[in-house]
Amino acid sequence: MSFDNTPFQPRLGVSRRQVLKGMGAASSLPLIGGFAPAFASNSDGRVVVIGGGFGGATAAKYLKRANPNLAVTLVEPARTFYTCPFSNLYLGGLREMSKIAHGYDELRDRYGVEVVHTLAQDLDPDSHTVSLANGDTLHYDKLVLSPGIDIRWNALEGYDEAAAELVPHAWKAGPQTELLRRQLEGMEDGGTFVLVAPENPFRCPPGPYERASMVAHYLSQHKPSSKVLILDAKDNFSKQGLFTSGWEQLYGDSIEWVGLSGDGRVTRVDAENREVETEFGTVHRADVLNVVPPQKAGWIAERAGVTDDSGWVPVKPETFESQQVADIYVVGDATVAAPMPKSGFCANAQAKVAAAAIVASLRGDSAPDPYWSNTCYSLIGPEYGISVAGVYRIQDGVIAEVEGSGGLSPSDASPEIRQMEAEYAVGWYNAICQDTWGTDA
Amino acid sequence: MPHPHRHPTLTRRRLLGSGVGGLLCLGLLSAAPGLLFSSAALASDAWQRLDAAQQVVGDASPEGDGLTLDLPHVSEDGSAVALTVGVDASLDDGDYVESIHLFAAGNPNPEIAVFHLTPLAGKPEVSTRVRLNETQEVVAVARSAEGKVWATSREVRITVSGCLMRGDDVQESLSNPRVRVPDSFSASQPGEIRTLITHPMETGLREGDDGETLPRHIIERFTVSVDGDIAFEAELHQSVSANPYLRFHLAPEASGEAVFEWHDDTGESARETRELNVS
Ligand SMILES: Cc1cc2nc3c(=O)[nH]c(=O)nc-3n(C[C@H](O)[C@H](O)[C@H](O)COP(=O)(O)OP(=O)(O)OC[C@H]3O[C@@H](n4cnc5c(N)ncnc54)[C@H](O)[C@@H]3O)c2cc1C
Repeated sequence: MSFDNTPFQPRLGVSRRQVLKGMGAASSLPLIGGFAPAFASNSDGRVVVIGGGFGGATAAKYLKRANPNLAVTLVEPARTFYTCPFSNLYLGGLREMSKIAHGYDELRDRYGVEVVHTLAQDLDPDSHTVSLANGDTLHYDKLVLSPGIDIRWNALEGYDEAAAELVPHAWKAGPQTELLRRQLEGMEDGGTFVLVAPENPFRCPPGPYERASMVAHYLSQHKPSSKVLILDAKDNFSKQGLFTSGWEQLYGDSIEWVGLSGDGRVTRVDAENREVETEFGTVHRADVLNVVPPQKAGWIAERAGVTDDSGWVPVKPETFESQQVADIYVVGDATVAAPMPKSGFCANAQAKVAAAAIVASLRGDSAPDPYWSNTCYSLIGPEYGISVAGVYRIQDGVIAEVEGSGGLSPSDASPEIRQMEAEYAVGWYNAICQDTWGTDA
Repeated sequence: MPHPHRHPTLTRRRLLGSGVGGLLCLGLLSAAPGLLFSSAALASDAWQRLDAAQQVVGDASPEGDGLTLDLPHVSEDGSAVALTVGVDASLDDGDYVESIHLFAAGNPNPEIAVFHLTPLAGKPEVSTRVRLNETQEVVAVARSAEGKVWATSREVRITVSGCLMRGDDVQESLSNPRVRVPDSFSASQPGEIRTLITHPMETGLREGDDGETLPRHIIERFTVSVDGDIAFEAELHQSVSANPYLRFHLAPEASGEAVFEWHDDTGESARETRELNVS
């Protein structure tokens, strides 16, 4: 096994020129810190970045770092971004909302990114323009889209926007997460928390199981006779063996998981009554119901014409440019990048590849040869962390996991190792937020 | 058309030789060379490159339109890929779709399943979950009672996300049969039926923990009759996922009893009955 205990070891000393020419050390690009200090350049251009989450904020920052003479505008409606990573810890009572909140001052003041707090409403690839909800129109030479996910309302019968106000998804952090937390606080001891997990692909493969863990932790502290039931549309899930044995150790039999073959796939939600019905007609009643619904790329991607009939965005793996529309680069959860998971870590790594490709392309150079790495930490308890890591590069024209790279936490690890991994998770969170927004939580 | 640059037998040999471990290993083989079909022209006659499919087509020249095969372009878990196949072509009066054949061109045994339908099966559309060893083309061939033939294919890229891992719960074979039928039918109108049963569908290609090959153990046949008349039948092969799931249709003329039976290769079987109410 090899979990990455220093995931963000800076690779200082890699010169920008090497990076941009795509030679040798170029592949260290996705590693944080792989850029040399700012320098002057002749190849100016206009780049608009839509979305100020993991992918978009990273792209804006790394574009400016690679070439301060680029005009980079970041379009993001929220002034404060709440990260999904560690939002489960908020639900578990381990962290405040203010500790998963990030702003854009650093990007603006330190890196010279122009930040516009509004929605991008429409896009015209022919004229290379974006129209904004505030009435402005922006012109771009290159566009980066990192809009994250949107919910496929009604793809799961009964789960629409109104239902989400009663039965939160909390799969975008913010008010939805707070609503779920309030519902947990209001639940009687002895109640059942039901979590509905979707089929692949979806944002954060281990997310639902970390959530179940954190909810179980909260319940064990405050409502010890309560249960957690996971109804899953899959027969196996990320880090399954590690989660299952962690659950047993920490929470006994209070977490139950029902997979696809056990009739775990939910086909109808009755939000008013907090009931769900499975494919074979079993009805489960919940005291608190959390539906992680089917998802698709953020809606602006569809407007841009970059999605395919799966609802996600196919990209050229070398650059993350759309396969369908020139000069639009799409990164993060919106893309089809499997086997890379839809994680904040991957969005960040993909954004660096896109930024380098854009900088190179605007100078008339070819893009460097990329590789990406990912580590997903999950907390099962406050002192019980697990992880899965992978390294990816392009093979036969598609993204593939490098054989023998990465791995899982060992199944028989000591409590000390679990505790160390819980600490690494915090280190990881701090490092990636620093790298993405330049902010501490 | 000339036979293209690939040798299914060779690929299969290599797969078997390399000691394909648990189901997880399925997707790790996705990078096998020569299996990435990109051109639509190639895809349109994938059945011609597959002996098993060719045998079903026989001398007919199959149509491509009218037969739909729904699979994800990319699947993150090759052990259970959701598939729907259906014929939506209009047929002459009295004609009906008699069989639908599914093949996984890149699996060690390309046969996935054959569905035998009757007019009682109403709508010729079936869903199931299949195993795909690697990135490959899935082929469907359908035949009508009066000899119309359709063929189509879809390429599916299999990646096993590093975040996926297989749990290995062994449950009793042929346990937990589940059947869901509509509360009521309109006479001769198709209603959707879903079935699911616990069974390992052991391929006979996989090694157990002790390094010994686990013997083949699969459900081979699933039948549905309505008041004694066969309405729907499925022949299943190793490429059907563990815990076989089938979604199909019945269009009973009058209320009656439906019998669902699963038979495995040890001679064991399971049986469920349901009342069909026609209103
Ligand atoms: C519970 C949970 C736990 C998670 N834990 C982890 C973890 O531990 N580690 C990890 O790596 N990942 C984790 N993730 C996954 C991570 O949150 C996502 O993969 C990541 O946010 C993807 O980044 P993104 O840039 O694609 O989208 P986001 O970060 O969601 O950013 C998208 C942004 O685009 C903006 N936007 C959308 N449309 C428009 C528009 N039209 N105009 C302007 N702006 C727009 C949105 O407002 C949003 O700010 C977790 C996810 C969940 C749900």
